[in-house]
Amino acid sequence: MSYFILLPIVFPVLSGIFLLVRGEMKSRKNLLAVTGGLLVITALLAVLALAFGRGEMLLLFDLTQTLPVLFKIDDMGMVFAVVAVLVFVCAGFFSFEYMKHEAHERRYYGFYLIVFGILMALCFAGNLVTFYLFFEILTLSSMTLVLHSGSKEAVMAGLKYLFYSLCGAYMVLFGFYFLSHYANTLSFSEGSVLNPDLTAGHTGLLCAAAFAMILGFSVKAGMFPMHAWLTAAHPAAPAPASAVLSAVIVKAGVLGIIRVVYYLFGASFLRDGWVQRVWMVLALVTIFMGSLLAYREPVLKKRLAYSTVSQVSYILYGLAVMDGDALAGGVLHVICHSLVKAVLFLCAGALIYRTGKTRVDELRGVGKEMPCLMWCYTIAALGLIGIPPTGGFISKWYLAAGSLSSGIPGFSWIGPAVLLVSALLTAGYLLPIAICGFLPGDDFDYGKLVKKEPGGLMLAPILLLTVLSVLIGLFPNAVLDFIRQFSAGIL
Amino acid sequence: MDFVQNFPFFSIMLSMFSGTVCSVLPRKAAKWVNTIVISVVSVLSLILLVYLIGKKESYVYMMGHFPAPWGNEIRAGVLEAGMALFFCVIMLLSMLGGRKKLHDEVVESKHNMYYILVNLLLSSLLALVYTNDLFTAYVFVEINTIAACGLIMIRQNGRTIEAAVRYMIMSLLGSGLLLLGICMLYDLTGHLLMSNIRESVHMIMEDGTYRVPLLVTITLISVGLAIKSALFPFHGWLPDAYGYSTVSSAAILSSLVSKGYIFLLIKIIYRVLGFDVFGMSHIIDVLFAFGLMGMVFGSLNAIEENDIRRMIAFSSVAQIGYIYMGIGMGTQAGMTASVFHILSHAATKSLLFIAAIGLTDVSGGSRHFIDLTGAAYRNKWAGVTFTVGSLSMVGVPMFSGFISKLLFAQAAVQNHVKMLPALIVLAVSTVLNAIYFMKTVIRIYTPAQEDKYESITFKDMKSYVLALVCFIILNVILGISSQPIVDLIEQGLSMFA
Repeated sequence: MSYFILLPIVFPVLSGIFLLVRGEMKSRKNLLAVTGGLLVITALLAVLALAFGRGEMLLLFDLTQTLPVLFKIDDMGMVFAVVAVLVFVCAGFFSFEYMKHEAHERRYYGFYLIVFGILMALCFAGNLVTFYLFFEILTLSSMTLVLHSGSKEAVMAGLKYLFYSLCGAYMVLFGFYFLSHYANTLSFSEGSVLNPDLTAGHTGLLCAAAFAMILGFSVKAGMFPMHAWLTAAHPAAPAPASAVLSAVIVKAGVLGIIRVVYYLFGASFLRDGWVQRVWMVLALVTIFMGSLLAYREPVLKKRLAYSTVSQVSYILYGLAVMDGDALAGGVLHVICHSLVKAVLFLCAGALIYRTGKTRVDELRGVGKEMPCLMWCYTIAALGLIGIPPTGGFISKWYLAAGSLSSGIPGFSWIGPAVLLVSALLTAGYLLPIAICGFLPGDDFDYGKLVKKEPGGLMLAPILLLTVLSVLIGLFPNAVLDFIRQFSAGIL
Repeated sequence: MDFVQNFPFFSIMLSMFSGTVCSVLPRKAAKWVNTIVISVVSVLSLILLVYLIGKKESYVYMMGHFPAPWGNEIRAGVLEAGMALFFCVIMLLSMLGGRKKLHDEVVESKHNMYYILVNLLLSSLLALVYTNDLFTAYVFVEINTIAACGLIMIRQNGRTIEAAVRYMIMSLLGSGLLLLGICMLYDLTGHLLMSNIRESVHMIMEDGTYRVPLLVTITLISVGLAIKSALFPFHGWLPDAYGYSTVSSAAILSSLVSKGYIFLLIKIIYRVLGFDVFGMSHIIDVLFAFGLMGMVFGSLNAIEENDIRRMIAFSSVAQIGYIYMGIGMGTQAGMTASVFHILSHAATKSLLFIAAIGLTDVSGGSRHFIDLTGAAYRNKWAGVTFTVGSLSMVGVPMFSGFISKLLFAQAAVQNHVKMLPALIVLAVSTVLNAIYFMKTVIRIYTPAQEDKYESITFKDMKSYVLALVCFIILNVILGISSQPIVDLIEQGLSMFA
């Protein structure tokens, strides 16, 4: 049996619990050394599992006769797992410096590691029960990151997060009950698991179940109308945690939708039905609305959270089109958005840490104070807007191309139009910060400027992620071929 | 006849007479007698369970020298033995967890009384589980009521006396209705033994006579037992009774006493009326509707509550709603789910009560949410246990609550009319559960501003922690390896028929 694929799940969870239950460490240095070591080991274990575990399957035990807890590493899970590992390690090292000005560090690192492990479990989950199990635990454990500061605002945001997520989870469960009745198996498999003999005559019911599940998972992904928690919860967390939440934890919802649509119901079952149409409308509404709200938002972290709402729906739109190009673009956008959004949130964290400024209009001249950081921010912003040669360009290109070639009446051209307008808005809400940062204007008092460039521990992770986001734009084919190869099988 | 077949009789008699013996023993000895008797009865039930699983059929045990249809009978199948075992285990753990607290809550001279009542309660529960005679069932229902009343009242303050009086009134109303129902059944059939009544009821149904009296009988029995087990509109007595009594009493009352009545109802449905007859009467739809209402309103009440004990008590109302919903579905799967939920809820609710006492105890004895801030740091074990219980209640996989919900949902999908309301209410009630339980968990894990409280009783926590750990293990076992238990329940239900 291939028990080694459990290592990147069990190890971080256990080490997180270890950090939580053992008393205070002698010094902060020890804590950081231990946490850093644990993070690196987890990453190595994950790499090991991904390198040798491709296609491995592990049946852990049977929850009930028909519901086994099953792990399986497939190509889709691998994409998400790689992104998760990258972002978690980078944001983890970033927080070593950042968390200096926050209390309860040990608790933070403990839960951070646990969330890491749970997310790996989500990527490796081999059937719906396992996925659901870890989806619930992910909500509960990541809520602690939102609650971290313990302020009234954070607690309210955490509760909001919890209730939205639980509502979503129960919509999923609602669909799950029906699905378990009509499906041959609940293991994720390419194509449809529905039993044609049982489903005959119940298509309407199953479509409703599929829609409930899509809507349920879309809560985590922040799709309209279930997005309100995201803009409250993500900014409430400490910046590295917001980076993780916004970059990879929302992707758990995306992965859930992919699993439901492409691995359980099957694209052919949902294509051209009302579910697909409504889903596309919701995704497009979210894309536009998220950008618009971000444009109006004066607080930087909140603005980035609205941007997440909008950008994740790009991915969802790509999935909803159910076309080869659009799907590939969507999955590529998972990678690009994760890298870029992590950079943006980490930059916002560094800005807050060094200057204490949270509002966009206070940030005049920061480019002069910390040029390196602001350059990373600018490159990431360009990536999110989708200007070549960044990864965002490639993914959006494929999203638009897929939409155009899908031939769905109306949507095939409305979709790209909305994407374009939203890209303009994205430029509108991200670039002014960079412009004012570097070019504060004539009336700016240059005398007050002091060098505030953050330390290496903060800058290195940001730089690494920025470079990766550019590299993926320069050499997209390696990744894209991989994605297209396995996504051809599930369409 | 195998010697093992005597065990049900031994268990009932042992617990009853040990109650009498407890009255003359010194306090310490009474405590040990109580613990040992419950343990011995659990072992006896376990042996019986293993024996019955091997034998694959139930048996009838004649009490005294008169054969049916005159004499009294005991009947034991897999489900009865399993329930007896489970009840004993929960009772043992509840007593263990609440023992230290008992010194604060009850004046020392009354401790013996407490153990007498617990033993009496156990014997009446066992009798309810095992008996094959309706009138014996009624007698033990009364003994159960009186013992339960004593358990509420033994902690003497104004609230408990009021609660006990309310409980007494409602409960006696319930037993009155039950007695009327039994009388009418006796009138209609001329029998008191369950199997004989069943045959007569069958004949009545075939003849097509006495339809209305039979319907009235079913109504009386169902409503009577529903009042006693606190189904939604009849739950007025519950929050005070569970909220202010001693912690062991609350745990025992919520997880065993109300469940004993529900078990009796299930037994009457199968063994006296027949599943089909009960299913055809519209009472089943009424129970279903009340169950659904209870699931929502119980949770809504719990959300409004600021007192942790009363909150848990209101949550019981919701959970009992689940059980009645399952009974009301009128399918075998629904009944299986209900019986599983009896186990799951008993394990979780007693865990929550016992954990809650640990939390309130380190918060200056106050049960209000504001004072509970950070309580989980002051009593770590209680905090962890309470969290486990909450997660189970919310229905997170790996804990028992998830399996119950899954079984209910799978049962609901089979019934096309009741499917949609059941699933929707299930989802709504789960979210409501999450609201108040997660609110509490967050509250107890929010660090307090200053450390103003000192632990009162729980300096020496060994027995308490042991009880908590056992509870957690029980919950996880029910959550992870539910399949054999569900199989046993199905086997037991088929033995009923």
